[in-house]
Amino acid sequence: MATGGYEGVVIAGVGQTRYEKRTEKTVQHLLWEALDAALGSAGFPMRRVDGLAVTAFVLPPDNVTVVAEHFGLEPRWLSQGAYGGASGVIGMLHGARAIQAGDADVVACLTADVFDVASHMDLMDRFNSSVRDYLGPYGFGGPNGIYALHTRLYMDRYGATREDFGKQAISQRQNALLNPNALFKTPLTMEEYLNARPIADPLRLYDCVLPCSGGDCVILAREDLVASQGGRRVRILGGGEIHNFPVEDVFSLRGGWERFRDRMYEQAGLGPSDMEFVQLYDDYPVMEFVQLESLGFCPPGGAAEFLRKRDTTVGGDFPINTGGGQLSAGQAGASGGMIGVVEAVLQLRGEAGARQLRARRGMVSGYGMVAYGRGLSCSAAILAREA
Amino acid sequence: MEPKPSPRLTAINQPFLRGSNRDELWLQRCVQPACRKFVFYPRVCCPHCGAGALTWEQATGRGQVVSFSRVFRPQHESFFPEAPYYFIAVRLSEGPLFFSRLDHQGLPVETNLIGRQVRAVFVQHTPEQRLPLFELC
Repeated sequence: MATGGYEGVVIAGVGQTRYEKRTEKTVQHLLWEALDAALGSAGFPMRRVDGLAVTAFVLPPDNVTVVAEHFGLEPRWLSQGAYGGASGVIGMLHGARAIQAGDADVVACLTADVFDVASHMDLMDRFNSSVRDYLGPYGFGGPNGIYALHTRLYMDRYGATREDFGKQAISQRQNALLNPNALFKTPLTMEEYLNARPIADPLRLYDCVLPCSGGDCVILAREDLVASQGGRRVRILGGGEIHNFPVEDVFSLRGGWERFRDRMYEQAGLGPSDMEFVQLYDDYPVMEFVQLESLGFCPPGGAAEFLRKRDTTVGGDFPINTGGGQLSAGQAGASGGMIGVVEAVLQLRGEAGARQLRARRGMVSGYGMVAYGRGLSCSAAILAREA
Repeated sequence: MEPKPSPRLTAINQPFLRGSNRDELWLQRCVQPACRKFVFYPRVCCPHCGAGALTWEQATGRGQVVSFSRVFRPQHESFFPEAPYYFIAVRLSEGPLFFSRLDHQGLPVETNLIGRQVRAVFVQHTPEQRLPLFELC
């Protein structure tokens, strides 16, 4: 196809472990739990998996190859995500390409991490060499400090307010209350949001994710291997990724999605207004604003006004992060890049429980790999339920 | 308490770190006549044009604040006693972006530092290494 789409591949299964603030389990254990759940959902035995895409920050010294050994797999295609929170979507897109090329038939796209606040900060202090040598020594505050700078600049440049960011955080908390696996169990009020403990101003506690432990997985397969399952097959209609965009401009307040979004929408034959939900990468509310702009839902600088007019809860006219997202469900390290994929697939399969939308298609977006002043990688995909 | 995290001395960044110990800010600069851009953080090649030949030049240490944050929750416990402090992004007058701290206490909380002129000041970071912070001009 001239569009370079993802024909011939279906998302056949989905799985997620319990999200927990602390766990005695190893990351390998969480990877297996997520994989086992997703294989159960797809109806495939473990040995049917011949391709594996894994992202887990705390996996070293192990890697995807050793995970295959651990699980007793004999894969002919392996991939390990090096794109932080963009890795979940990218692993899925690359896995789909492998199936299209005949390099694998059944690909497990898998993320997990074992994190708490202390281990998260420790990792972030040495995330890569530019962070370790040129940010850590200056007390940058981890990603909180970096995105405090972006949030400050965004507010200064576009006039967005703390209340604008708070509205989105509160809406996601409402969505989380319908997700039994979300770690936050009580509503968030604007007063609580605005007066929460300062972390790195203008960011306060509820602008920051809760590091936790958990795992997420989707199973991709060649379409002829998967019975239609009463409309539970999900397809990738379009997707893309970009890295280090724009070169030389850390503070563009753009992530790079604008670089591939037209091609993605063209692949799908759809536009932003056709999306019935959006699962954004919500490491910080400001990045959700940037994503809405870069993905073409509103013009640059227009996200605050766009969101003021919309209800982004599950019952609203523009649902965002319908499971609560990382801000209210939790950020299980690299699984933060997969939680949106899993939520999108659950919604499209009709398996989202109390938070179920009536939706045929939606978008999921990824972002990550914080380096010298910003995340380097972004990704997105449009997913749709088969009619 | 653990010591503060310190940059590793490498074959690439020696002039920067040794310059800091003399209270001088040194930057890489591309030697290609068509480029001549300054570079930070230290690289093996010019990120503007891809050429491998970079020299080192002493910078003015002057710049402008692009954005700033008061950090209440440092990423490393060695910074806890100093918190809250101002983490800042500085656009150096030579062009590169430089992330550092403001060597300043007691600013009014509502002070907007965006666009303010700053200059490098060097502080003893660890017993072996001095590093550039910035102060308002």
